[in-house]
Amino acid sequence: MQDGTRNAGNLWSGLALAALAIYIMVEALQWEYATAEGPGPGFFPLWYGIAMLALSAVLVVSELARRSAGGTSINWSPLGRALSTWLALAASVALFKPLGFFVSFALLTYFIVAVMYRRPLKIAALVAAASAAGFFLVFRLALGVSLPVGLLGF
Amino acid sequence: MKTQLRVVAQTQLRLVALAVFVGLGATPASFAQGFKPTRPVEVVVHTGPGGGSDVLARAVAVMIEKENLLPVRLQVVNKTGGGGAVAAAYRAEKKGDQNTIGFFTGVWLTNPLMSAEAKVSLRDLTPIVRLLLEPAVIAVKADAPYKTLADFIDAAKKNPGQLKQSGGSVTSRDNVVRQLLQQNSGARWVYISFPGGGERIAALLGGHVNIMVIEPAEAGEHIRAGNLRVLAQVSEKRLSGFPNVPTLKEAGFDVPNVPQVRGVVAPPGIPRENVQYWEGVFRRLSQTASWKKYIADNQFEDGYQTSADLVKFYDEFTDRMRGIMKEAGIKVVR
Amino acid sequence: MEIITGLYDGLAIALQPANLFWCFAGVVLGTLVGIMPGLGPPATIAMLLPLTFAMSPASAMIMLAGIYYGAKYGGSTTSILLNVPGESASVVTCLDGYQMARKGRAGAALGIAAIASFVAGTVGVLGLMLVAPPLAKFALAFSSPEYFALMALGLAMVVLLAGSSMLKALLATLVGLWIAGVGTDLFSATSRFTFGRMELLSGIDFIVVAIGIFALGEVLANMETPQQAQMVPVPKGLRNLLPTLRDLKDCRFAFVNGSVIGFLVGVLPGAGSTIASFLSYGVEKAVSRRRDQFGTGVPEGVAAPEGANNSETGGALVPLLTLGIPGSGTTAILLAALVLWGFKPGPLFIPENPALFWGLVASMYIGNVMLLVLNLPLVPVFAQVLRLPAYVLFPLILGVSMIGVYSVSGSLFDLALLLGFGLLGYLMRKLDYPSAPLILGLVLGGAMERALRQSLMMSEGSLAIFAARPMPAVMLSLAVLILLVPLFGKFNAWRLRALEQKGG
Repeated sequence: MQDGTRNAGNLWSGLALAALAIYIMVEALQWEYATAEGPGPGFFPLWYGIAMLALSAVLVVSELARRSAGGTSINWSPLGRALSTWLALAASVALFKPLGFFVSFALLTYFIVAVMYRRPLKIAALVAAASAAGFFLVFRLALGVSLPVGLLGF
Repeated sequence: MKTQLRVVAQTQLRLVALAVFVGLGATPASFAQGFKPTRPVEVVVHTGPGGGSDVLARAVAVMIEKENLLPVRLQVVNKTGGGGAVAAAYRAEKKGDQNTIGFFTGVWLTNPLMSAEAKVSLRDLTPIVRLLLEPAVIAVKADAPYKTLADFIDAAKKNPGQLKQSGGSVTSRDNVVRQLLQQNSGARWVYISFPGGGERIAALLGGHVNIMVIEPAEAGEHIRAGNLRVLAQVSEKRLSGFPNVPTLKEAGFDVPNVPQVRGVVAPPGIPRENVQYWEGVFRRLSQTASWKKYIADNQFEDGYQTSADLVKFYDEFTDRMRGIMKEAGIKVVR
Repeated sequence: MEIITGLYDGLAIALQPANLFWCFAGVVLGTLVGIMPGLGPPATIAMLLPLTFAMSPASAMIMLAGIYYGAKYGGSTTSILLNVPGESASVVTCLDGYQMARKGRAGAALGIAAIASFVAGTVGVLGLMLVAPPLAKFALAFSSPEYFALMALGLAMVVLLAGSSMLKALLATLVGLWIAGVGTDLFSATSRFTFGRMELLSGIDFIVVAIGIFALGEVLANMETPQQAQMVPVPKGLRNLLPTLRDLKDCRFAFVNGSVIGFLVGVLPGAGSTIASFLSYGVEKAVSRRRDQFGTGVPEGVAAPEGANNSETGGALVPLLTLGIPGSGTTAILLAALVLWGFKPGPLFIPENPALFWGLVASMYIGNVMLLVLNLPLVPVFAQVLRLPAYVLFPLILGVSMIGVYSVSGSLFDLALLLGFGLLGYLMRKLDYPSAPLILGLVLGGAMERALRQSLMMSEGSLAIFAARPMPAVMLSLAVLILLVPLFGKFNAWRLRALEQKGG
């Protein structure tokens, strides 16, 4: 793992968690802290929100203190590869409604094999078709699991 | 009958053509012509496999098949989540779909009242029938010092807030009974929620709580083994399994009966003839021997009501629930 | 001794050819169901219920139980090979099992899982047979204060799962607690953190989070460097296709640990097999001499949780059969099945239906043997899955994950959640946040909050209830001790440094 990325990550994740903690505490304060009969819905969230805020503050502060000793740089290209795969995954889920599971999944596989792994396009198409067909056989026909069906009817 | 009829285009013509038949007095015992399911009918339940609605739906499917009441199968589909809200919304989405129905329970009625996210109420769907009522009994441990419900209430009055009842969520029937009794008698005791029926009984049997509202079927075996004692029953008249136990009214507490209800709904926009068809099927079911046996075995009460009566029941029930919720300090959203 | 006669009668029933067939059918089906992420025993049993009316109740029970404990065997397969938990309880197996696979020891991991499952499963049945009624009484004494203490003890184990950064482990745990809190509060019917979405009213499904963080996170992490042709080294040679004697020796304690903890936790209504596997893993790590290596692929880290989730099935049958109280989703549907067949589960069930009970117990012994015999030879076969090139395997993992999640709830919203947690899993991996504490927080968070509030309601607001009762007092003290141990270590180191500075 790139060191620079992790350190930048420490700072940003610390800030994000602190923001989450504040959100949790704000919500928790709107609910009852304690009722006549026992702790209310706001009790637990408030306390772990406070703990989260404290710990993330420590994280941010220690990262900033460490920073004064040296620079950090983020190595974007592996990050970019992973994130673009994630975007492809999200796109395929978004396509479930119009295209149905099998077609979207085949497209996703094609993307991963051809673009991420840089295999020849024919291999990519083959793997995509074979995997989608395999899933169709096993899950749809053999097990009868219902999967998103698109406008194409399957 | 005030269901919102948004008739789907293709059935309009059929309805017109069939108006003659229907108008000529289709007797309650005959099928309304023109609607018969031709594909397996999807039955939506809001619990997972093994939950109350799921078990009932499967049992009904088996009975209907045995008695040949439907030309097709019933297929149970679980749509869990949101305490029923997801199943209700799923039902509402399939507007006009004539091939699906759903089993509802009390939570479908109460959820929309207190949950802003539960947007679908029974009024938004097409009510079909009410099927059955689930009475309950009030039980304590066999070695508890309370022989009657009045004993418990008196003890609660002397020690306000110290006696404990185990039950489900704070909007469940268990708590409704408690709220009604508290209001009626002025006593106060604590209600502790447990997510699973098993945990509730375990809490009572282990002596960690004093009392609970429990279903007769669940209690039966423990009573037989001598672990539990029943103080009263939550039903209109005495159940055959508990001939010596007073009902709430008989025990001296004039509170309305609070049954757990179960019934059938369909998506909105279903033509009237479908409703009548289903009413017919389920009425026929409620008259069969296997249904009567099922009711007797599980100690339910038959509660068959047509859609018209169901709507009235629904309105009464939700109005009463609103009042109870406000008393209990639960925010009422609708 | 009536146990001996009972078992003898039970064997006579279980060894009938028809029942042997149903047992076999059940365990095979269970194994398959366990392998598939998402599809679980409750749904499968529910689907098969109508078929069971044509069978005798004993045969039906034998088959359904076979599905129940068979699924626990299958759940470890995808956990080890693909880092996809086949069943919620298999999440913990992913931690070390998948790492063993990455080191080329997939076969050994699968074998250890099968053997641990067998040993613990058999112990679970032994427990059911020998100590069921007194243990049921023990289960009743266990209520909310004890549950809270147990969960607190489990959560304290996060200390043991921390790895390099305690700070990040704690933060991950807190996030897990938060995710557990999403949904409708049981006690007040308030919606918490639902963002106005009705799908979140009953909370976020555990398996969505687990598959997202583990499986998707892993695939995304691998996308960073797609040059390797094969994902993990394929185990070569018999040494890596099956566990060695050395491995078995190392796992001696883990077998015992998993069996005992799993069974005891299973007996408690409401505590599930996921909690059992976490506790067993934590205990194993605490007593192990190579505790720092946990998480990198040690066999005990597979044996303990796998054993625990198998003996938990035996334990969960105790309250079901002795009191009629279902402890988990699968036992709830087994209860419904018994009722549908006309039985009345309760305290008098075993005395009045000895044939059914003993037939079931005997068949469970047989079933466990069948599963061992089935699974061990299949280990090298399964391990060959890893031969597939990475670019075929990863899309398959993605597909299986999505199908698994969708098949449970049928909701695209859950798929969106899956995507979100997948991204989270990847980022956590990148930024060195350990994922086990988050899962631990998620599993325990809800139960712990409920137990705390129930306890305080029982004691009318007084915390003394935790000190007054023996079990919570002991467990909470243990939890505090566990939390303080690393502090002692740090304190000592600080003190030594201070001494050195003074001296030098």
